[in-house]
Amino acid sequence: MTRRRWLTLAGAAPGLLVGQDKPPVFPGKRPMLVHNDFPEDLETPVEYFTTWLTPNDAFFVRQHLPRPRVTAESYKLEIGGIVSQPVTLTLADLRRLPQHTVPATLECAGNGRANYRPKLPGLQWTKGAIGNAEWRGPRVRDVLARAGVASGAAYIDCDGADVGVAKTPDFIRSIPLRKAQHDSTIVALEMNGAPLPELHGSPARLIVPGWDGASWVKWLTRMTVSAQPDGGFYMNPAYRMPKNPVAPGTAARPEDMVVLEGMAVKSFFVMPAAGAKMPAGAPVALSGVAWAGEERIVRVEVSTDGGSRWSDARLGREDFHFAWRLWNFDWKPARPGAHILCSRATDSAGRVQPIEPDWNPSGYLWNAVDRVGVVVEG
Amino acid sequence: MIAPFLLLLLAADPAVLEKGKAEEKRSCLPCHGLRIVQVQRLSRATWERELDKMVRWGAVIKEREALMEYLVANFGDDKPAPAPPLSGDGRK
Repeated sequence: MTRRRWLTLAGAAPGLLVGQDKPPVFPGKRPMLVHNDFPEDLETPVEYFTTWLTPNDAFFVRQHLPRPRVTAESYKLEIGGIVSQPVTLTLADLRRLPQHTVPATLECAGNGRANYRPKLPGLQWTKGAIGNAEWRGPRVRDVLARAGVASGAAYIDCDGADVGVAKTPDFIRSIPLRKAQHDSTIVALEMNGAPLPELHGSPARLIVPGWDGASWVKWLTRMTVSAQPDGGFYMNPAYRMPKNPVAPGTAARPEDMVVLEGMAVKSFFVMPAAGAKMPAGAPVALSGVAWAGEERIVRVEVSTDGGSRWSDARLGREDFHFAWRLWNFDWKPARPGAHILCSRATDSAGRVQPIEPDWNPSGYLWNAVDRVGVVVEG
Repeated sequence: MIAPFLLLLLAADPAVLEKGKAEEKRSCLPCHGLRIVQVQRLSRATWERELDKMVRWGAVIKEREALMEYLVANFGDDKPAPAPPLSGDGRK
């Protein structure tokens, strides 16, 4: 490690080298659940999810590698590979292309990993490695057109300005051309109407609606059009799922592991919080969020008796492909005592949240029926 | 092959655990914070695989046995998982 790298590390993580007693502070963020100080891995506390758009200061952060410093002035996006003419675009070039706003939910593939048994290595996310934002920028299709995608192209290998420490592999993700050229796949320059924050990949990141967060490459600096997906660690073996479920605690054969793309159908409670107390006979507003990757949410059901009987929740008015939906349910608890509240979403492909998802060797796509225990006081 | 009771003796030795804790700082901190290590609860076999991966990724581990004993003693899969702490307010 060079002296400069050490200085960068120390500068990026004040307090890290002098112990962890004082809670760390992250620029621009409200108090967040800290899974790692450096690089930053921050989970959104569930009680922050009270609005359809998750504010930037509450949005979860997952970094694989130390955060690079990229300025708007120095930013360049290189487009090469199987193209008519390789080009290098500046931020101004990206701003000159038609701009599109895409509301989309971003979720880490490992959100909920803490629930799998046997336990798995990796970040022990509970519920909050997810958020919903309005992203704005040019379509990837229009960006690629500046270089001209030539015949034989099948993937776009996307690389950010972050680089591996020591021998850690560089973070490169390959997006199939059909998804890269979708209307809603954009290079975001803005998040919820503000310039993309540094922690979220400023000045430009990929938005791949409905797909796992790993595909949404931050600090995007290179797109290489290719015939085959990149062969690096973050395409294989990382971010893959067994084609068919395996017994918990066992491995699948490498040839049976497939690249993770669209996310699962899922819902969870925002209110009430686990362990909340409420009086019997008074109305209680139950609410939460639901999303379904590339599909649409068509139904959310709630059970107030641990899953014996289910009733439809009301879906929120914001209804966009790729963005989560709010839902709510009015409950008037009659009987005092402990109650298990459950939520279960169904999507446009007919997928329904399971009681428990299939265990998988990396702990991806946890989407069990959500359960929250509350106490009704008589 | 090391007899299991020898491993137990190693694990019980506070000096070994101290050495492992120092090794964690020395070999992990150059690349990442320690919290991501300490929030996990893994079996001995899984910790071994994690260390193998980190060595492939450039970690220079000098006291591997002590590090392993420290990890298993403090962050084994028989221990309850800690709740992640809240960060300070960074909006100001």
